[in-house]
Amino acid sequence: MTRLNLVLLLAVMASALYLVNVQYESRRLFTAMERANSEGRRLDTERDRLQVERRAQATPQRVEKLAREKLQMRPATPAITHYVAYSDASASPATSAADGTARAASGRLP
Amino acid sequence: MSRKSIPYTSSPLLASRTPVWRSKLVVALAAIGFTVLAARAVHIQVLANDFYQRQGEVRFARTLALPANRGRIIDRNGLILASSVPAPSIWAIPEDVPRDNPVALKQLAKLLDMPLPSLQRKLENEDKTFVWLKRQVDESVGKQIEALGLKGIYQRKEYRREHPEGEATAHVVGFTNIEDKGQEGIELAFDADLAGRAGSRRVIKDRLGRVVEGVGEQVPPVDGKDIQLSIDSKIQFFAYQKLRDAVTTNKAKAGSVVVIDAITGEILAMANYPSFSPDDRSGLTGEQLRNRALTDVFEPGSTMKPITVAMALEAGRVKPQTLIETGPGRFSIGGFTIRDTHDYGALTVEGVIQKSSNVGALKIAQKMSPHEMWNTFTALGYGQKPQLQFPGAVTGRLRPWKTWKPVEQATMAYGYGLSASLFQMAHSYTAFAHDGSLIPATIIKSPEPAIGVPVFSAQNAAAIRKMLQMAAGPGGTGQRAQTIGYSVGGKSGTAHKQVGKGYATNKYRAWFTGMAPIDKPRIVVAVMIDEPSAGKYFGGEVAAPVFSETVQQALRLMGVTPDMAVKPQIVTAVEESL
Repeated sequence: MTRLNLVLLLAVMASALYLVNVQYESRRLFTAMERANSEGRRLDTERDRLQVERRAQATPQRVEKLAREKLQMRPATPAITHYVAYSDASASPATSAADGTARAASGRLP
Repeated sequence: MSRKSIPYTSSPLLASRTPVWRSKLVVALAAIGFTVLAARAVHIQVLANDFYQRQGEVRFARTLALPANRGRIIDRNGLILASSVPAPSIWAIPEDVPRDNPVALKQLAKLLDMPLPSLQRKLENEDKTFVWLKRQVDESVGKQIEALGLKGIYQRKEYRREHPEGEATAHVVGFTNIEDKGQEGIELAFDADLAGRAGSRRVIKDRLGRVVEGVGEQVPPVDGKDIQLSIDSKIQFFAYQKLRDAVTTNKAKAGSVVVIDAITGEILAMANYPSFSPDDRSGLTGEQLRNRALTDVFEPGSTMKPITVAMALEAGRVKPQTLIETGPGRFSIGGFTIRDTHDYGALTVEGVIQKSSNVGALKIAQKMSPHEMWNTFTALGYGQKPQLQFPGAVTGRLRPWKTWKPVEQATMAYGYGLSASLFQMAHSYTAFAHDGSLIPATIIKSPEPAIGVPVFSAQNAAAIRKMLQMAAGPGGTGQRAQTIGYSVGGKSGTAHKQVGKGYATNKYRAWFTGMAPIDKPRIVVAVMIDEPSAGKYFGGEVAAPVFSETVQQALRLMGVTPDMAVKPQIVTAVEESL
């Protein structure tokens, strides 16, 4: 009878130790998951913030300022006509209307 | 030890005559007492243990609120107009802040951008357990404050709206207050959609406040929806810039521009000057905050003449070539004299629009009844609240037709006696642009062609467009509205500003409403300049150039091919092999 008691006692102790182990594992995994979640959220907000910053770098105000000052560009109007000559023999007939009428008017190119 | 002891059981004292039932009763009572305890124990532990379990849980479980991200506001091409960025708020427990480190406190004051005495004043009341030091600072500043490592200074995570476009779209996008609730503009109109819904989760926290275990289900937060506007930020910026330049050049008080897509009814641009920077709202004036295109009303003036002519054409009272006698350039009615700038003699109906003759418009209107005029004005949106998902749009004023006196019917023909906002004027002209149907305007992106309410026939709308083109052409009042490559049409307007009950003699308002290209209009543009005081004040001189530049850029950005022959001004030739 005492052997049975002893066996049962050992079983209870083993089960208790296993329970403690499982609880510890679960807490550890939980904190790891929490940390990963908050890292994910932090990266999400970081990505949003960077998108806003990227957009701020490309606003029309800034683009125009840089184009005028650094790149010395000026706005284009339809009044500026730019002839382009094809040196390729098999020239495609599709050309822009402005070029077409202008070419016909000036008789420059076939 | 030898003692004479009486065996217990045979002591004569104990051979009492107490009846047996008395001892049995005591035993029974004790048994009942134990049964009651056992039953109570069973009741608490097994049957009704919820209450106690809940009470126990309350002691260690907490409900955390999961905040929802506020949605973004983006333009029709997906570019960000407003977005939330993290901005920590700094708070302190004055008692815990160490006093013996003045260097660190001075650094903190410099980072918070406040003078050291005011920081010390905030920290001196030691009874308070929570004092805001500064709300919503930049994230980088927050990191530097954390690096200082001062005891008693803590941070709370909050969010702040950033507006990359700044002034140009400030009136449309609006702004939020410190609690992240929309106050103006789209932020207010769509606050419920943008805010989303906070979620919650129940967790167990340990003594130090760290989350240890999740308990039960979590309600995920519903992030705010992104709102996509119909505004094109490039057209908006360009319109704002040209408006700003025109207001500055003409030394005017203010101005507005509205661009509406004539096919879909989308508002492509709505810009006002003066404007403000939504990110830095300290020191704002009411002048800067008003979305004038929607909130400022004025008498539409000459803009109504095409509408008067259109309703007469629609009712069959005139034809485009009908002659109207406008000589000698003035007309008396009801004790008032209405004048033209010149004596134009006999004009066709087309000429009435081209020369902008008040007398001509008056005579055309007299062929209509007040009821008919009122019906057409109302059908075009005058005196009606704009059906726009935007706060603060005003109704304007159009009095009921039964109260019109004959002189009022006459003045309404050329746009006095009723008032409307710039948006209402632009919106009413979409009827001419959309083959006679007034299409609903929308601030939210909706690329399908709009279905409108027919007000005029397509034929009459085309006739009016021809007259508008004549008004913006040689011989008309709006020649400076012409562009390079695109045909335009429109009506200019100039008026004295109202001061009290009368009109100021040298304060003017100038505007221009038109559309382009004139055959199949893609956009309707309206420009208003308030109080130009640099010499020029006519609508055709002050507002028409802004119209011209806005139309040029807007149609180029929309990829509309030029429909007029363009005379080359700068010609270069390049040899290229492709």
